[in-house]
Amino acid sequence: MKWFDRFLKIYTYIILALMYLPIVVLIIFSFNESRSKVVFTGFTLENYYRLVNNFMVWDAFYNSIWIGVVVTIVSVLLAILMSYGVTRYSFRGKAIVDSIMLVPIIIPEIVEALTLLVFLVILGFSLSPYTIIIGHVAFDISFAYVVIKARMAGYDPQFEEAARTLGADEFKAFRKVTLPILAPGIAAAALIAFLESYDDFIKTFFTRPPGFLTLPVYIWNMASRRGFPLDLNALASFVVIISLVFAYVRRRVERGVLR
Amino acid sequence: MSYAVELVNISKSFGSVRAVSNVSLSIRKNEFFSLLGPSGCGKTTTLRIIAGLEEPDTGVVKLDGRDVTYVPTHKRNIGMVFQTLALFPHMDVYDNIAFGLRMRNYSEADIRRRVREMLDIVRLSGLEHRRIHQLSGGQRQRVALARALIVQPAVLLLDEPLGALDLKIRQHMMVELKRVQREVGTTFIYVTHDQTEAMVMSDRIAVMKDGVIQQVGEPYDIYMHPRNRFVATFIGDAINLVEGDYASPGVVKTSLGDINVPSINEYVGKKVVFAIRPEKILIGGEVSSDLDNVFVGRISLTIFRGAFIEYRVYVDNMEFVIFKPHVGVSYLLLKPGDMVKIGWRREDGILMPE
Repeated sequence: MKWFDRFLKIYTYIILALMYLPIVVLIIFSFNESRSKVVFTGFTLENYYRLVNNFMVWDAFYNSIWIGVVVTIVSVLLAILMSYGVTRYSFRGKAIVDSIMLVPIIIPEIVEALTLLVFLVILGFSLSPYTIIIGHVAFDISFAYVVIKARMAGYDPQFEEAARTLGADEFKAFRKVTLPILAPGIAAAALIAFLESYDDFIKTFFTRPPGFLTLPVYIWNMASRRGFPLDLNALASFVVIISLVFAYVRRRVERGVLR
Repeated sequence: MSYAVELVNISKSFGSVRAVSNVSLSIRKNEFFSLLGPSGCGKTTTLRIIAGLEEPDTGVVKLDGRDVTYVPTHKRNIGMVFQTLALFPHMDVYDNIAFGLRMRNYSEADIRRRVREMLDIVRLSGLEHRRIHQLSGGQRQRVALARALIVQPAVLLLDEPLGALDLKIRQHMMVELKRVQREVGTTFIYVTHDQTEAMVMSDRIAVMKDGVIQQVGEPYDIYMHPRNRFVATFIGDAINLVEGDYASPGVVKTSLGDINVPSINEYVGKKVVFAIRPEKILIGGEVSSDLDNVFVGRISLTIFRGAFIEYRVYVDNMEFVIFKPHVGVSYLLLKPGDMVKIGWRREDGILMPE
């Protein structure tokens, strides 16, 4: 079976290459001197200078961040309350609530975005940054819920009972004991929620007011209107790097939980 | 005199299961009291009701004479050591022990002094800044004990805290618990399914089964005078039981023949269970002809148990268990297959209602 092991190895490398080579090429060509996307003619940082001096990029970046932060806070708070309810109490329809929370992860995002838009129009909402936030929260809460619920299910309620026998009321027991013990799980959930919001294009695109830019939307605009300029490579590289940093932090946090 | 803890007619059901049934107990101040019984007998539920972690369906809970049936846990001034210990993993030893004092808004200087005192009592000085996962099982036990005791609770509740420990450490911790209890002078209520733990540590024991209290008494009393068959078999390493009729005062008629027993008038004319502890039975050369009860049997098994020898002796088809300390070469004198006399004194027998 030696040949099979070798085959698996090569197969794995091919898959990894397919996944990451385009990103590597994208990043390399963000430093290209000429406008060519095929031939690397020389190293330059000019694309990045242009990027830094483009106020539209800064505007989009700022929007992506603040929407991401608001979405994260709202999703995580709601997910904590939901997980607590589902893991700690029994009530009618608990299984249904639990399943419904997973639906946004399963259904195609374009369908979700479209129904969301129709829903907002029917209710007479005018599109604004807040409609974007509603759309993101409706989706991100599922991811946050899955992560936090898993942590809470493994949490021994005797910790909280111990705190109560030591003189803590229920609120204090939750704040001083339950919350800190769950903190790594909550942090991991927050990072996932933020990344999901920060990366999102489809739902943002459907629910944004005209002219409102987030980074993914701005990239789309550049790519579709101006024939793929090279500073787009630089911008995309920037977006990827921020995502990688978050992914790395998340790994560290999760490993902290296991220790 | 007011008791540390009083339970009056406490009952509690979970769904259709009656976990605790009409339990009444009066636990004295500074007493080491054990709730002993097999798993599912309601002992832990009873403890949680005293702690306020469960609400009884009926009945009254009093602490120091005060009705606390509906007082929430954090206002009861109790301490509790959980089966899982439930030490806070995100805090070090010091912060775990200080938790109760912080909830009561003590000053940090006061906390530091009291934690140091408590570390001294449980012999953990120098470990205050260890994380919980860096401690051994016995050390964790001590932290849990210190954390519960530092708030000077009116009563300390312990829910099988030694269950997870190795035999040697458990034996050591039993003595430690007893020592700490003497030192701090707090009422301890200890839940366990291990009769040895209960015997070693307790001033008094309540034996429970199916949510009902079977007997309350001092270890000696419960061992020597069990009130029914369950208590007799649950307490002690072994016991020999023979059913019979209490025909006339001082005589029980059984399938083995007449057994001479203490004279107890209330049993006259009733079916009874006769019991004799393994260490009360004399064997071989120890049996003199004027002993109250003498039987002849065949040795089926001899087991060397270290501190004593266990003999299994068949009299008709009843197998007796006999414990003998070994002095000299007694182990070699009796062998499986030997016919042997066994016997016991009238007053060593135990009578129980059928």
